[in-house]
Amino acid sequence: MSRNSRREFLAGLGAAGVAGLAGCAGFSLESGTQEPPLVENPPNAVYYPTHTEGMLMAGMASDGAYNCALTYSYPHRFWTVTGTTTNKVEVSDDDSLHLMPIVWHAETGIVVPDVNPRMTVRRDGEQVVEISPWPMLSQQMGFHFGDNVQLPEQGKYDVTVSVGEPGSRRTGSLAGAGEAAFEFTVDYQRSALQEISYTDVPDAKQGTLGAVPPMGMEMMPSTTVPEPEQLPGTLVGTGQSGDAVLAATWLESAAAYGGEDGEPYLAVSPRTPYNRFTLPLMALSTTVTRDGEPVYDDVLTATVSPELNTHYGAALPSLESGDELTITVDAPPQASRHEGYETAFLGMEPVELTV
Amino acid sequence: MVNMDDSQGIDRRAFVKAAVAIGGTAALSACLDHGASVDVPRGPEDPDAAFPERQYAWNAFLPTDEAGNNHHPRHRVLLALEYDGDTPTDAERETVAEALRGVERAYERSADGLLMTVSYSPYYFARFDDSLPESVDLPEPKPLASFEDPNPDDVDALIHLASDNAEVVLGAEEALKGEVEELNGVSQPSDSLLSAFSVRERRTGFIGEGLPAENQDVDGVPDSEPVSEDAPLYMGFESGFAGNQPGEDRVTIPDGPFADGTTQQLSFIQLNLQQWYEQDSRDQRVSKMFCPHHAATDTVEGTGENLGDDPQMDGCGDPAETGRTTGVVGHGQKMVDVREDDAPIILRRDFDSTDGGRASTHFLSLQREIADFVTTRDAMNGEAVSQNSAVGQRTNNGILQYLNVVRRGNFLLPPRSLRALPPANPEQAEEVVRVA
Repeated sequence: MSRNSRREFLAGLGAAGVAGLAGCAGFSLESGTQEPPLVENPPNAVYYPTHTEGMLMAGMASDGAYNCALTYSYPHRFWTVTGTTTNKVEVSDDDSLHLMPIVWHAETGIVVPDVNPRMTVRRDGEQVVEISPWPMLSQQMGFHFGDNVQLPEQGKYDVTVSVGEPGSRRTGSLAGAGEAAFEFTVDYQRSALQEISYTDVPDAKQGTLGAVPPMGMEMMPSTTVPEPEQLPGTLVGTGQSGDAVLAATWLESAAAYGGEDGEPYLAVSPRTPYNRFTLPLMALSTTVTRDGEPVYDDVLTATVSPELNTHYGAALPSLESGDELTITVDAPPQASRHEGYETAFLGMEPVELTV
Repeated sequence: MVNMDDSQGIDRRAFVKAAVAIGGTAALSACLDHGASVDVPRGPEDPDAAFPERQYAWNAFLPTDEAGNNHHPRHRVLLALEYDGDTPTDAERETVAEALRGVERAYERSADGLLMTVSYSPYYFARFDDSLPESVDLPEPKPLASFEDPNPDDVDALIHLASDNAEVVLGAEEALKGEVEELNGVSQPSDSLLSAFSVRERRTGFIGEGLPAENQDVDGVPDSEPVSEDAPLYMGFESGFAGNQPGEDRVTIPDGPFADGTTQQLSFIQLNLQQWYEQDSRDQRVSKMFCPHHAATDTVEGTGENLGDDPQMDGCGDPAETGRTTGVVGHGQKMVDVREDDAPIILRRDFDSTDGGRASTHFLSLQREIADFVTTRDAMNGEAVSQNSAVGQRTNNGILQYLNVVRRGNFLLPPRSLRALPPANPEQAEEVVRVA
């Protein structure tokens, strides 16, 4: 894999052996519409994309129970998701930045998927952009919020990121987190964007099963969840669905999760293959069958907890050895997808496990 | 100010559209000079005797389209007013009442002519020793979603002017401000509204085929000019279906001193149509505005005019269920549960705007109690659906993602006889002037 800057790529100098030319003058990054052609006929699974990208951080801020980092890169294509349908969003000539506000719960380090941040961009006090960015999944960043934004000119912009009350069930210290707002300044300079790393994935690897590794983000939490064996409770097992891994575990007491102390709590933790990124914005349900008779049939409620991160769970009346679990994906993750994820996690079959 | 030289070069329609947003006597005279003045019949000599007690009784004076939907006057001005005095005097009440009658004498009450309401905020009523009677539910505005942080609309009063003719709303506005002595051939009172009020802000807007498309060169709308020529609103769909509107009776305050009044909720909402038009597909837009069923079955053609007078929400299914199975819930679909006798409980009189140079909506609704609006907005938030499905707090949750509520205001729209500087409790107040 070669490392070179986006400028070189866009200048059409090809991928390999051009590192020495970094800084060649005269090239102007006008838009990202020159992204490389997509992989043809990608598999219906997680696959290696055409390239990886670096990013910059405008700053970090704290308010209330949260921290927020405002990160950005050059604009890029992505796919919005509604149900099992994706819609490709091309980079437009007007796009300036791909802006990503990363909000996490300070105490637990959990990136919260259940608050849609609002982002206001101002120039000299004048509002230029006001958006609610999309929830997104990317192989390098995992779950985050982001969108391409249009800025009228290069220069400094003030960005306010705000979040409201949580939108899903939360437990422990996560439950008490209220509203928060964060202030940043972004200096939009095309020359700085051009220095953001751009790395080709070799042709032979593009489109094959696998994923590029997560970006190491200093001081920022990742949305990687533990190996199934490391989850709290007793692991029931794991199964594959739409190329995602669904890990099911059970805790002896559902008391912390809205159930009774004597009830077991079933938690399903879906994650991407390879990078083990959490998969929010799904609808899951389960049936528990004992001796051929259904003993439980209901939804698994999306929950964010300090111990289990984002998961889907239910208090069960009982759980016994030999019980058969069917975990059904009623709707796949409704997060927009970056390259390499847009064909995975869509048609998702039920997962069968035995306790 | 309108530059007359520039205005000669553009066609009349385009000019008139811009004139309402610009405002002022210069815009009015330029508008009138620009082409043949519209021929609007005058109103009655004695509007108090001729006009209904319900200021908002507009429907009987408006035409309906072929499908039976009420017409929405195309041009709007909202005059946001500060009351200058301490507590209103009878003399001020008579001056205000006479100024209002002046414009009513000038233009007939119709879509071509003028429709007008006058309303007052809780901040206005706070100046009185008496409280509003219990028959009126008018709290101060507050945020109505966990993710919004609106400014309170703390003006004292709001005058809503509506007409299919830009010249009429502009003319009425100028006459109310005392800027013209004669309007449509009818002489205007010498003392204007400005004897008692100052104009804090003029807000403008439009609704109806062609106007959003003509006004799409603003922030919030992508440069691809995605708003179709036949769209009545920026988001591209019909919204005022008769089947989606209650009758005026349902929103009327039934008893007490403000009987035959109503409450008015006004939100100023910025639209992010970059995402709506550039990042969503047509099917996604139909799913989010109506419901996923309508997208899957191609129920909605174009702007949805094919739906006639009814958006057919019965076919959408339970929002919680479809949120789980399709990952998206429609805006209209979420509202079905709020219906009473198969009709919503708020009467929409909203319109779009370019105020501040951005695509936006003045979401104006009438309801018996502000609580009815809060109930409706709760349904729109879809919190229960979001918590128990793949639908996000805003993503795929109707149209929440594309809306930013910048300001919210609540107003009492009193009966006509109390529309001029009403006291908080007319039954308690001594020597109240009912000006009818």
